[in-house]
Amino acid sequence: MKASTGPNDASNWMAQARCLFLKDLRAELRTRVAINSVGLFAFSSLLLVALATRGLREVMTLRMLDLPIDIIRPADVTAAMFPAWSAASKMGLLWTLLCFAAFAGLAHSFVHEEEAGTVTALRLSMSPAGVYTGKLAFNLTLLFAVALLVTPFYMGLTGMQAGNWPVFLTLMLAGCIGLGSTATIVAALAAKARGSGALFGAIGLPIITVFLMLLLNAANTLYSDSTDAAAHTIKTVQDVGGLISFGILLISVSAFTFRFVWEE
Amino acid sequence: MADTTAGVAANSKSQVPPMTGAWWKLGTGFLMIFVIYGAFFIAKGAAGFGESGDKARAVFFHVPSAILASVCYFVGMYFSVIYLFSSKRSTLEIDAKAAISMELGALFCLLATITGSIFAGIQWGVFWNWDPRETSIVITLLLYSSYLILRGALNSNPTKRANLSAVYCLIALVPQQFLIWAVPRILETNHPTKVLQNSGNTSPDYRLILWCSILAFTLLFIWLFQLRLRAYRLVAKKEAAR
Repeated sequence: MKASTGPNDASNWMAQARCLFLKDLRAELRTRVAINSVGLFAFSSLLLVALATRGLREVMTLRMLDLPIDIIRPADVTAAMFPAWSAASKMGLLWTLLCFAAFAGLAHSFVHEEEAGTVTALRLSMSPAGVYTGKLAFNLTLLFAVALLVTPFYMGLTGMQAGNWPVFLTLMLAGCIGLGSTATIVAALAAKARGSGALFGAIGLPIITVFLMLLLNAANTLYSDSTDAAAHTIKTVQDVGGLISFGILLISVSAFTFRFVWEE
Repeated sequence: MADTTAGVAANSKSQVPPMTGAWWKLGTGFLMIFVIYGAFFIAKGAAGFGESGDKARAVFFHVPSAILASVCYFVGMYFSVIYLFSSKRSTLEIDAKAAISMELGALFCLLATITGSIFAGIQWGVFWNWDPRETSIVITLLLYSSYLILRGALNSNPTKRANLSAVYCLIALVPQQFLIWAVPRILETNHPTKVLQNSGNTSPDYRLILWCSILAFTLLFIWLFQLRLRAYRLVAKKEAAR
């Protein structure tokens, strides 16, 4: 007879994480609350940005048509949203939208367990490592899905170019890991503090700002024109590496400290 | 009788230590007066800071504040690690020490932001130009504020407050370390660190005043830390007596 394994059995945590991930995924596919809220938040924010940058589009459209800038015709304004920003700024805006969307959607990953009263059951049957890994995997999957939906749409709408595709995709992947890891541990803290969404934003956004700084720097390198190919490659590896290491470090520290949040 | 008096004195000493070490506090005061006088009347200006080099005098107050802003975080992190991982020393007083360090860190960070902005205004003509180092110090201030906001939200449960704020201190260490080590290396900045690190740009009296200033600010931090800890112990004693 196989000896039963307790919730804190170290060898068991991967199976527990998989179990929690599949549970969350099944619940999500049933209701689609998180993906709908994150996706809708991202698209609504994009709409707000489109409205806010109306002046920029007017100027651009008139310039394209070679008309004096003081003449504004409604037909010109309805042209596609190609604001007069650099590609790196467009990337920055995309990640600002994704950050706020993720913070709106992922805040509920632990609050949901508290509200449903399933926290005690999870605590009894799973180790903190299993819970953290399962929640992180689910949040990352959700972010990848939203980024896959929103990014092509955003690129079509704003005319943002990918530049170097492998670097672009690595940057997007590193961005999702950094954002997902931050949102997961901050959501756990905010759920335990039983704070409002405002608390989640207040303690999470300063961390995210550093991550956005690194991401914008990597985006600047991605879209910069450099005559020295070797130096450009080194700078790209340095910047994207910095971005990836942010996510990995945050996951490592979170994995070390999550049990203190979970067992509180 | 003598034993009883000694016992009471020992007991009161263990709970609320008396004002000891006045000599070094007096010394800190005199050192600070010397630094303020020396910054304007003893030290010569530094090369690379305009014709007279007088703009470099802001450094005497900005650099120690910025160093202390980082040191306070490390002290807070040290007490947070002890609180979380040491079963023997995991007390609310250790948590209070972490919180005091973070509070003082926020204070020094605010001073570094203000003095840095004054320096930017006189050196570059604008008080704020979103230089990566300016952005970094503001984000550090935000990280300190977030820690204090989280503590404020958990005031009703001191144990939970201690646990969660210690975890947040360690989590926020990642971006804080990126701001100190990674950001200045991967982002281009106007911050004159390298100009000051080149000893040819500064005179010996300039370096003397700068080091004295760093020492004076560090002693001031220790003094403020002790004061806040005494205040915490008095409040804790009053609450325990109820």
